[in-house]
Amino acid sequence: MGETFISIENLIKVFTSKAEDLTVLSGTSFQIEKGEIVCLLGTSGSGKTTTLNLLAGIDKPTSGKISYGGEDISKWDLAELYDYRLREIGFIFQDFHLMEHLTALENVMVPILLMKKEEDEAKETALELLNKVGLGAKALNHPEELSSGEKQRVCVARAVANSPSILIADEPTGTLDSKTGDVIMNLLLDLSKKNKMTMIYTTHDPYLARIATRLLIIQKGIISETEITNIEEIDYDNIIFEYKLERDVK
Amino acid sequence: MTDPDISKDTENDEPFLRKVFYIFSFNIRLILKNISSRKRSTLIVILGLIFSLSVLYTSSIWTHTSEKIIADDYIETLDYEMYITSFLTHSMDEVYTYVSQDQVVEQVDWIYPSVALFNFDDKNDTYRWYPEEAQENMTNPLSLSAGFVVSSRSLNRIKLNLDIEGRSEVNSGEILISYTQAKQLESIFNETIAPGYKIDVAITRRIPNTDDGQIYMFHYDIDETKFYNYTVAGIYKYVGHNTVIDRLLGGGTSGSGGIIVDSIFFPIEDLTSLDLFIMDGWGILPRLLVKTDPQQLRIDGITSMPDNLLALRERIEIRFFHSFCYILSQEIQTMTEEYRRSFASTTLFIPTIATAIVLTILSSHMTVRRRREEIAFLRSKGAVSSQIIGIFFGEFLFISVISLVISIGTGILLAATIPSVGHGSVFNTSLFVRYLNELEMSFYDIEIFTVLILGIYLGWTLLNVITFVRRDIQESLLVTRKGQQLLTMGLKIAAFALTIAGFIFLLLDYLKLEQESFTFNLTLITASSNSLYLFIGVIFFTCYFVSLGINYLLKKSEVILSSIFKRSKFFIIKNIRRYRKSFTDTTFFLILIICLLTSFLTIRSSTIRNNILEGEYREGADLRIDAVVPVNITDFENSLSSIEGINESIGFYTAKATVGFQDVEVFGIDPLKYLRIGKWLDNSFVGMTAEEGLTALANEEEGVILSDFVVDRLEFSLNQILSITAFRGGPFYVDFRLTSIISSAPGLGVAHGHDPKMNRITNEWALINENYFLQMIEQRNSTLFLASVEENADVEQIIEQIKEINPLVVINPTFINPDYIGYFLVNYIPPVAVSLLLGAIFLNVIGVVYIIISTDFILEQRRRENAVMLALGGKQRDIRKMIISELSIFMITTVIIGFILGLILTTVLLVFIKPLIISREVVSLSIFIDVVPFIIMFITLFAAAMIGLIPILRKQMKHEIINELRAIV
Repeated sequence: MGETFISIENLIKVFTSKAEDLTVLSGTSFQIEKGEIVCLLGTSGSGKTTTLNLLAGIDKPTSGKISYGGEDISKWDLAELYDYRLREIGFIFQDFHLMEHLTALENVMVPILLMKKEEDEAKETALELLNKVGLGAKALNHPEELSSGEKQRVCVARAVANSPSILIADEPTGTLDSKTGDVIMNLLLDLSKKNKMTMIYTTHDPYLARIATRLLIIQKGIISETEITNIEEIDYDNIIFEYKLERDVK
Repeated sequence: MTDPDISKDTENDEPFLRKVFYIFSFNIRLILKNISSRKRSTLIVILGLIFSLSVLYTSSIWTHTSEKIIADDYIETLDYEMYITSFLTHSMDEVYTYVSQDQVVEQVDWIYPSVALFNFDDKNDTYRWYPEEAQENMTNPLSLSAGFVVSSRSLNRIKLNLDIEGRSEVNSGEILISYTQAKQLESIFNETIAPGYKIDVAITRRIPNTDDGQIYMFHYDIDETKFYNYTVAGIYKYVGHNTVIDRLLGGGTSGSGGIIVDSIFFPIEDLTSLDLFIMDGWGILPRLLVKTDPQQLRIDGITSMPDNLLALRERIEIRFFHSFCYILSQEIQTMTEEYRRSFASTTLFIPTIATAIVLTILSSHMTVRRRREEIAFLRSKGAVSSQIIGIFFGEFLFISVISLVISIGTGILLAATIPSVGHGSVFNTSLFVRYLNELEMSFYDIEIFTVLILGIYLGWTLLNVITFVRRDIQESLLVTRKGQQLLTMGLKIAAFALTIAGFIFLLLDYLKLEQESFTFNLTLITASSNSLYLFIGVIFFTCYFVSLGINYLLKKSEVILSSIFKRSKFFIIKNIRRYRKSFTDTTFFLILIICLLTSFLTIRSSTIRNNILEGEYREGADLRIDAVVPVNITDFENSLSSIEGINESIGFYTAKATVGFQDVEVFGIDPLKYLRIGKWLDNSFVGMTAEEGLTALANEEEGVILSDFVVDRLEFSLNQILSITAFRGGPFYVDFRLTSIISSAPGLGVAHGHDPKMNRITNEWALINENYFLQMIEQRNSTLFLASVEENADVEQIIEQIKEINPLVVINPTFINPDYIGYFLVNYIPPVAVSLLLGAIFLNVIGVVYIIISTDFILEQRRRENAVMLALGGKQRDIRKMIISELSIFMITTVIIGFILGLILTTVLLVFIKPLIISREVVSLSIFIDVVPFIIMFITLFAAAMIGLIPILRKQMKHEIINELRAIV
């Protein structure tokens, strides 16, 4: 086993509301090693997105510990969190969250500019990344002029623009058809491998979990870590069956 | 037994009715739920509506109530409005009865203008009394004064002209005497005359005619009318000007020498009917003083008052051919004209109202845009357009009703508050209560304003809702949409062009009228108002197109912005380019506000300065001395010259005469002395300087300076020989050479037309050489003097010394004519400066409200991207700085452009709004900027905007990123 990169210990997340409190994560623990490609598989509402948000530092746990490089990020102040998100995290949102008034190129430039780099340098890097994701020709198009797949490619380029250590993708193919989804997943895999990034992504589609080096199944707020570390050993058919069964029961 | 059919029907109806009730109650609940969940935006819209409606309601209620109260109060300030005299004195009883019964008349009083004698006891019938200053026994002289026999009721009205020490009423056994007479008696009796002093007085039943050689005591016929031990109830000084008593008894204004300043009032009940009959017989003609009922006089509105008074005069003169009625037509006419002008000046408030309406429209627009996702959701759930529109309509109906109710209340309170604080003093509670008590509302106005504002609001809102309901169709037809945009822009440009064309047409019409008229008459006021209405449109359109230009320039000014915002330039430039529509609205509205604020404040400061300069010019010199009682000019000038610190002084010899058809007051002056003493203006003379004009007169002994109006009407030209006729107390016919043409002069005011700020009776005047005047006319006295003082002289000390010479004099009065109706109207209608200040304050409030609303809206629109920025590693501090920077760019750009635009538009405005802001352009009205109000207003605007922004920013920054990302669909 390699060096622990991210460590989650007894993580609890409760959403409070006037009506009732909703426990989304109820005390889960797991570790991620550097360079791993981890898939969080689970049904809707199982806590996948919440887990990613907590890992990305854009949400805070109710209790528990999230360690990154040996430090508990839930104890960090705002400035440290800004820096963490800016330098260590690349986030791909399910709903893209592109800025409509910016072109594809400018959207990719945003994280680079937030790192206080020069505009020309940002432009060069962003264009390079867009070329990598195959959108060089549409760099000057606004999001409203792009298809869903193209938007997600922009998101991918934007997520890696700041050369993060961790690439987090929340249902990156959730709104895409299977063919486009495959393209995007391959792109993510390729980029993360080339840039030696740790990638954590969620999906409720077991087929897309195949590319992961490690699979975490999340059910009712508890992540059960499979003992299998060799991706080839995962019994996907069984998982798919269990998944379908769980879904039907629900 | 129940009818089975009916029972069946009821059973069928019940579910239907229940369904209808359910749908109705569901919709109501939905509407209430929507409103309660959007308390802030609902409140903003309600406030916008209340503001717009209240301003309009206030103007209507205030106008109508003021009209009533002004008319009532003005009539109350006059002693009487008419006096009647007749050469058939025996018919006066009949006239009295007839006039008393007229519906317009409230009160009719008798006055007998007789003569009072003092110190008569030891004088026998053959005592020679004339002339008074050289009578038979000057060591113990008889004292004479005018003696007005009046009733207590009458004196109660006459006393409005008097400043009385002691009691103002005169009962049996009492008299009221003038200060001058009291001083005369003091010198005779060598005793101090004060209220309570006992004195013997005789009222003459006859006034001897000295021209007939009647110079002895017995000619007075006082045997039966000697009264002993009468108490001096009070001692008065005359203060009235434009009143019936002044016209009847002569108040001493303009050097005419009024008898009231040296007279007494005697109670009519102490004379018998026989006495009065004998007085009639000896030709002491009684006059009837007529007081009108203000409610009847203003029955058809304040502007109908002069006509109603004229109609009363005509009724009397037609019924009694031998009667003569004098009415205060000039004063009441002036009052109605000034009233109309004062209210016309409130049209300057229209831009504020229009801005409030635009605020309502923009806030409604933003509210609907904010809810477009809700509209999309309702549509996705299968709601048809009519249902969505119905929900919005219901909400806005609810909002409208609330706004309407509050606005009427606010309108009433504001209508009572404005006059209570408008004249600059502390809050006048009694006037406030009075306005509330005598409230006059025009339901027609209320209806029109309600339909106008709520119609605009509802119409605009529903139009927006419909646009969003139909948006998907429009978006699918992108070409058509672009075509629509082009069409809309084309229509806007066409409307702008039409507005400018209309304005130019009205402006030319105004300029033509202005050239033809010498005063700011009602026609000119109307033309000015009409031009203003269209110019408001021009202002709005100009601001709109300028805002488009600014947005374009901001988009293109990357280099400048990059150099200012080095680090955040990318985001700031992109943000400025974005939300073009919202920013165009914001830029337009802010430029409009700043432009109007600049105009309001500039016009205000220019008007204030003009009023000050005009006041100084009317005063004429360092010292303006009103002797009240005419004094010998040479003597008084010599006395003034002996006072240390006085350089020179000039008295004005005056005589009435006629030029052509026109009555004029001819002033005899030393032209060069007047040039040195008077504070002349560049535009005092037509086509020449004051020095040229007065030197020309000095060089031509038989020269005359005439007003431009008379010269124009009689088609005179310079150096032409013209005749001035009918000199009162002088020759009938004298030829003069026209040396110069004048429009106004320091100390004398305007040369043509009724000058209500001066206390001259005549409308026109002419200047001739003093020496030539003295050769023609035996007039040596005057009341008006001007004097110049040495530099660094103690003016207060000089004034004290002049008062030692003549305690009656009034020096540098606050108001030359305290009866000027404008000073009266100010109590009810705030002066232009106050109206403009109120307008500026309202604009400031509107500006602050809009900045807060629009910032809130723009930030609301940017919640998602702010959250995304934060998720990508952006810092709250940087985002906050970025927002403040963007806002500052807009504020600074709009303030600079709005200010420049405001100054340009003010320059145009001042061409045609003079009749609305000043009564006469005696001093050329030019732009004057008072920096202090500008700084205060702009700092207030900035500070309020920033203070208003802080809670919005804090609220936004408090939002959890994850909640923001999750909440956004």
